[in-house]
Amino acid sequence: MTPRRPKIVGFCCERHGLDSPVAAAKSGITYDASVRIIDVPCTGRVDGLHILKALEDGADAVFVLGCLEKNCYYDTGSIEGRKRVEHVRSMLEEAGIEKERVEMFNTSSTMTWRFPEIVSKMCDVVNRLGPLGKEGDEQ
Amino acid sequence: MKGQIQVIGCKSCTEIPQLIDMNKLIEKASTMDLVVSTVLVGAVCDSKSIKQVVQEAKEREVDRVVVLACPKKVVNPALLAAFKKAKVNEFLVEYVNIRDEVVLPHMDDPPRAQAKAETMMVAALQKVMGLKPLETLKEQMRTRNVVVLGGGASGRKAAETAAKTGAHTIIIEKGTKSFKAPGVLMQNSVLLKSKGYGGNFVLTIRAGEKVEELQCAAIVVATGGGWTRLNGPLAKACKSALPLYELDEQIRAGKKMEGPIVIVDSPDPAGKSMQVRDYAWDESLELAIELKRRSTDSDITIVFQEMRAFGLSELRYKEAAELGVRFIRYDATGIPKIDPKEPNVVSVKDLAQGETIRLRFGTLAFASIPANDDNEGIADTLRIPMSPDGGIRHGSIQRGPVSTPRPGIFICGSALFPKTKDIAEEEGMVAGELAGEFASKGIIEYGGSVAEVTQEKCSACLTCIRTCPYEAPFIGIANKAEIRTQACQGCGMCVGICPSKAIELRNCTDDIIMQETKTMLRGDF
Amino acid sequence: MIVAKRKPLGEIADMIAPYKKITVIGCRSCVAICLAGGEKEVKMLVSALKVKNKKEGRKQQFEALVVERQCEKEWIQEVEDKILDSDLVLSMACSLGAQTIGDNYPHKLAFPALNTGIFGVPEEQGVWSEKCVGCGNCIIHTTGGICPIARCAKSMLNGPCGGSSDGHCEVNLEIDCAWYAIHERLKLQNRLELIEQVSAPKDWSTSHSGGRRTYVREDAKLTQHQKKGKGAVR
Repeated sequence: MTPRRPKIVGFCCERHGLDSPVAAAKSGITYDASVRIIDVPCTGRVDGLHILKALEDGADAVFVLGCLEKNCYYDTGSIEGRKRVEHVRSMLEEAGIEKERVEMFNTSSTMTWRFPEIVSKMCDVVNRLGPLGKEGDEQ
Repeated sequence: MKGQIQVIGCKSCTEIPQLIDMNKLIEKASTMDLVVSTVLVGAVCDSKSIKQVVQEAKEREVDRVVVLACPKKVVNPALLAAFKKAKVNEFLVEYVNIRDEVVLPHMDDPPRAQAKAETMMVAALQKVMGLKPLETLKEQMRTRNVVVLGGGASGRKAAETAAKTGAHTIIIEKGTKSFKAPGVLMQNSVLLKSKGYGGNFVLTIRAGEKVEELQCAAIVVATGGGWTRLNGPLAKACKSALPLYELDEQIRAGKKMEGPIVIVDSPDPAGKSMQVRDYAWDESLELAIELKRRSTDSDITIVFQEMRAFGLSELRYKEAAELGVRFIRYDATGIPKIDPKEPNVVSVKDLAQGETIRLRFGTLAFASIPANDDNEGIADTLRIPMSPDGGIRHGSIQRGPVSTPRPGIFICGSALFPKTKDIAEEEGMVAGELAGEFASKGIIEYGGSVAEVTQEKCSACLTCIRTCPYEAPFIGIANKAEIRTQACQGCGMCVGICPSKAIELRNCTDDIIMQETKTMLRGDF
Repeated sequence: MIVAKRKPLGEIADMIAPYKKITVIGCRSCVAICLAGGEKEVKMLVSALKVKNKKEGRKQQFEALVVERQCEKEWIQEVEDKILDSDLVLSMACSLGAQTIGDNYPHKLAFPALNTGIFGVPEEQGVWSEKCVGCGNCIIHTTGGICPIARCAKSMLNGPCGGSSDGHCEVNLEIDCAWYAIHERLKLQNRLELIEQVSAPKDWSTSHSGGRRTYVREDAKLTQHQKKGKGAVR
């Protein structure tokens, strides 16, 4: 049996966040398939609950990807998103769960290398920390 | 809604059929619940294919569609238009970007790519069933007015260009400047209040003694701005420094300045945000040359980080050097400093020699153009953000170069940060054109995927109102939050922060997002 | 309003560790507005606890609920089945909510998930500051509208102590000196003479030091005849 592959969820905003994997694809960069992209209109839409629920439903790591903070389409959206992520991180820390499993990133649609870089970073985190919870424990 | 789903697979791009088995994917789709039609086409952007899929959709009475192709932005909009004609609501068409999110990035691992594409399709099928048909609505703009705040170089240009697009322009000028301009020029006028949203703004303006209300479709902020004082550590040590424009005025008025004269290129060389811009280069050079021309023995030093004079002004650099103006270049390792004990000496590390040079000065000037102390008030009234340097901040570049975060409000010239007249005019032209185009649309399209309040759940905590950048939420008659749909941009920031979960973004609800996540996580790839 | 703050997750997890079936109940009033115990916080707490359990291999069953006002028994009765059906109720309301559940269902356990702190004013989004301690005898008309009982660390009644400097309190330089603020406010209102009036020792019998307080409004009380039975709200 192959070892369990990491499961990574990426909440990407519809603007630069989703342009980023497209830019990577266009420049022919490949990355690990374990990332699951969930599109949201803006990282400000991401609720801490979505992140926690993803971890609950079997994700080993979650990242949120938005526009650069100074160039967010919805002005303060990616700042708002960062605050939510930070809140979840502090909750995880309180609960004794590695907060590195949840991370916020910013990108722009021209940064072709950014998305693959984020995916490999999150894969590294999961490989280092191991899966969250025991095998087959998903509810 | 019955829920009759059509799944369209596209193999247009050569990579897709090579790397994943589209037939298998479509076959799988046909076994799923509620899927009544599956089509595999050569290229979904191609008009023949569009006809074929829409024909099929009509025959099978399809009301929801999942398109396995490219990102929504890339797929031919004609597809959506054709579906609209076939009475399929445009908000019930879900795009799955298998090309850029699966096929291309995972070309080295086809089995996993296949499994991932399959999971994405299943997730999309579930998602599309959760979607509700939405409508976009239209509202007439009440006027075609474009209000230009400020009658300076950029404001005048903005009004001229906006007028060319057919808009009626109104320039609000706080002083008594008189000039020829299209439309109306209101002198001695100040903006007091603003209400409304892009397309239908209502401004309250005090013109002379009178206070009047002015409706407009778009606003151009051209209020200018700069800095009048030194900032940061230099400001503490030296009280006598003059902004460059003031020095310029005094010299042109014939006043003899005490030499030697030192010109620094920024009001705060140590600061990170007060960047040196072109105005500093051009104007410092011009003034230095003027001074040298008046008296060849005047001692002038320009302390700068980079000299990137604009276009042909570059020649001025040469001219100034030939006339004997001293140039000292510094960088972050040796910024100009003044010791408060010796307020007449500026010391700076010369990049060329690597040594610190002490310059005794009689007059210290720093590059700047006149400040506008009203900018903060104007930004506050229009509720657009300020940047840390004291200018007004522009919006995301995706919204356009002279945009603000609020649709319908444009900004140009030195209100953003100080610039030379010609650049301010160029910006004014762009802002005027965009504002004119915005106003001449005549209608505001709104609705679709916007926020919606479940009033029974609302605690009227005001969190949404404080968080929204567009002033869409407000407290209605029932003392509960409501959404001004025309102003809502559909970002969902209020939805994510509502402590009572009383707000939902249409077609992007918590349930949809969490269900999609769950399905994606169930897939084994 | 009443301002509360969630207990650290570790503490909550330890508190509820022995129980299997847990109902988490939030409240739509004060604690929802101070972002501590509304529907969102309840759902997030449950989710975070589930993630923790998943990591540690513990099994617990959670239910997330919100009621309009947890301090009123009528609202609690709406979720009575869930309370009776669980091993433990974790209250995400202020302590009043947890106590109301406890008082109405004394055989059930109702644990607090929040620390109830202050009668606070939202200064800006996410910042609440204490301005009243509920002493039961308001005097702010004489102190320029600023309560020295709540806003002075020593609850001084006749001007500042010796620790006031530059408008700050000696306890912590980030706290403003209440009496400095009172002086400035009275000056602004042209009522500075008030500051010279000596206040007699305050009657503290109305405060908490007199034991548990009950406020009664006789004309609003229902007679035995008027009282309605259980479940008559909806």
